[in-house]
Amino acid sequence: MAREIVIDPVTRIEGHAKITIQLDDAGRVADAHFHVTQFRGFERICQGRPVHELPSIMARICGICPVSHLIASAKACDQILATEPPPTAVDLRRIMNLAQVVQSHALSFFHLSSPDLLFGFDAEAGGRHLFGVLGANPQLARDGVGLRRFGQQVIESLGGKRIHPAWVVPGGVDAPLQGETRDQILAALPEARAATERALGWYKTSVRRFAEEAARFGDFPSAFMGLVGPDGAVEHYDGALRVVGDDGALLAERADPRPYWEYLGEAVEPWSYLKSAYWKDLGYPEGVYRVGPLARLNVADKLGTPRADEELEEFRARLGRTPGSSFHYHQARLIEILGCLERLETLLRDPGICSPRVRSTAGINREEGIGIAEAPRGTLLHHYRVDRDGIVQWANLVIATGHNNLAMNQSVAQVARHYVKADRLTEPMLNRVEAVIRCYDPCLSCSTHAIGQMPLHLQLLAPDGAVLDERKR
Amino acid sequence: MTDAGVLVVGYGNSLRGDDGIGWHAARLLASDPRLAGARVLAQHQLVPELAVEVSRAALVVLVDAAADGDPGAVLVRRVQPRRTDPATWSHHLDPESLAGLAKDLYGAVPPIVLVSVAAGSFTGGDRLSGALERALPEVVEAVADIVSGQYRA
Repeated sequence: MAREIVIDPVTRIEGHAKITIQLDDAGRVADAHFHVTQFRGFERICQGRPVHELPSIMARICGICPVSHLIASAKACDQILATEPPPTAVDLRRIMNLAQVVQSHALSFFHLSSPDLLFGFDAEAGGRHLFGVLGANPQLARDGVGLRRFGQQVIESLGGKRIHPAWVVPGGVDAPLQGETRDQILAALPEARAATERALGWYKTSVRRFAEEAARFGDFPSAFMGLVGPDGAVEHYDGALRVVGDDGALLAERADPRPYWEYLGEAVEPWSYLKSAYWKDLGYPEGVYRVGPLARLNVADKLGTPRADEELEEFRARLGRTPGSSFHYHQARLIEILGCLERLETLLRDPGICSPRVRSTAGINREEGIGIAEAPRGTLLHHYRVDRDGIVQWANLVIATGHNNLAMNQSVAQVARHYVKADRLTEPMLNRVEAVIRCYDPCLSCSTHAIGQMPLHLQLLAPDGAVLDERKR
Repeated sequence: MTDAGVLVVGYGNSLRGDDGIGWHAARLLASDPRLAGARVLAQHQLVPELAVEVSRAALVVLVDAAADGDPGAVLVRRVQPRRTDPATWSHHLDPESLAGLAKDLYGAVPPIVLVSVAAGSFTGGDRLSGALERALPEVVEAVADIVSGQYRA
């Protein structure tokens, strides 16, 4: 009799999920799935609302990455207004977005993943959390809390709130940056950079212990996708969409990525509310690609800042031009934090950053708008259609975790096949299955699409697909 | 490093009715002359990074809604540091865990007082129920008393 192992919920990821591991008669892993059981529904919630409200509404999809939704939503609104935000407003949006990357990556690396990296995947589950890190490596814990605090304080100082600030608006931002605020952020930057450097040093020493995991945690050929600037550097706010293969060869580069339906498909599977995005040229499900920090490093020529580029060079010297294991998302996250902090300093030292001209105003001039930006977890896309009065008629969101869905499923299956044995199921094995998901840092509340009704449908399947047990509600 | 001042944190979801009592109180307390010099924050949740501010303060007053009790009832109590073993608290902490984190991370935890207000309704909206609207002046007075030293736990 085949058996199914269910790990529910997955701990230490943002949101909730279920992983099912299908065993065959011999007790070997036949397949594994990562199920997203949450239901988002924001595409329907916003119908009938004035488009100007959408940035603030969409920000409430998530408390971890609200700024990403603010940015992408406001950019879609800019399109509908047919207006261009003043250059200072663009830079201020960039600053808030970079701060968001810092705080979100800090949460992912220090709070969620560092316990595994510090104690190992065979450690007792009861001690693998930030309090455990605090006892074993207080500086690492303090650096994690401090970096998250830095990013959140930048967001709060600009937008008035750490979570769900309403400062990014169609046409720009709501208020200019004050010199005092700029100076406060600049004064806090050196410690944030020092914390990042310490974490990078610690990680590069620690990662040697995890050669086996690095070889099994989603190490497979795939494409990678992310935005790049005109100089080929990693770009978080705007730019061309670049896709490279597993060998780093250029597959596509779209100077205007907005007509995403030309190159992206979204497949629906019956076992998840999360759609599976795929690169159309490669078909489904072969068109698997990855987004997020590792993908951004893999598609870009450089980060474009001195220290981050030094780290990137070292990263590539050790792992090759296009590292294929999702385990390396961890180091990519730290390198990206460093690059974001360097960029923040450059932007804040620009003489025009406190200019009072930060918003362009206009009425409804188009009935469709698309905003694309890089969220901490990867490429984020907001697409709206409105009527002549600016009332939202239709919306579609393509979220980073949706881009990564196929890759996450492949990664879960790869880890399960290697580590999970029916005759001896242990916590460390199960934690490795969960940990590979954590590499992608999925933010599940963002990622679930409406697919009609919400059936609760549980099935226990035999190796030949026959239903052994089934429950419906 | 120590800021050694008074820190007041009103927290909750300002869009869930009475859960926003901390926000409403923080708005009034920020302009209350009796709290001159105090740092008043309105927060969605208690998060780990607040441990830094807590550790640097001489006194911390938290204002939050409570799910139990007669709507509008105000309860004041001291918070003792506690180390918890949560599977995850990336989203929020309870007051005791925040105090424990400040102590463990930074080696300092000042007196922390929680002013909780029994809620009548957590339904959607940015307005307080009648009971909590009426209780709001009492909440402000309670915080002012604590800050002025009139409250003794």
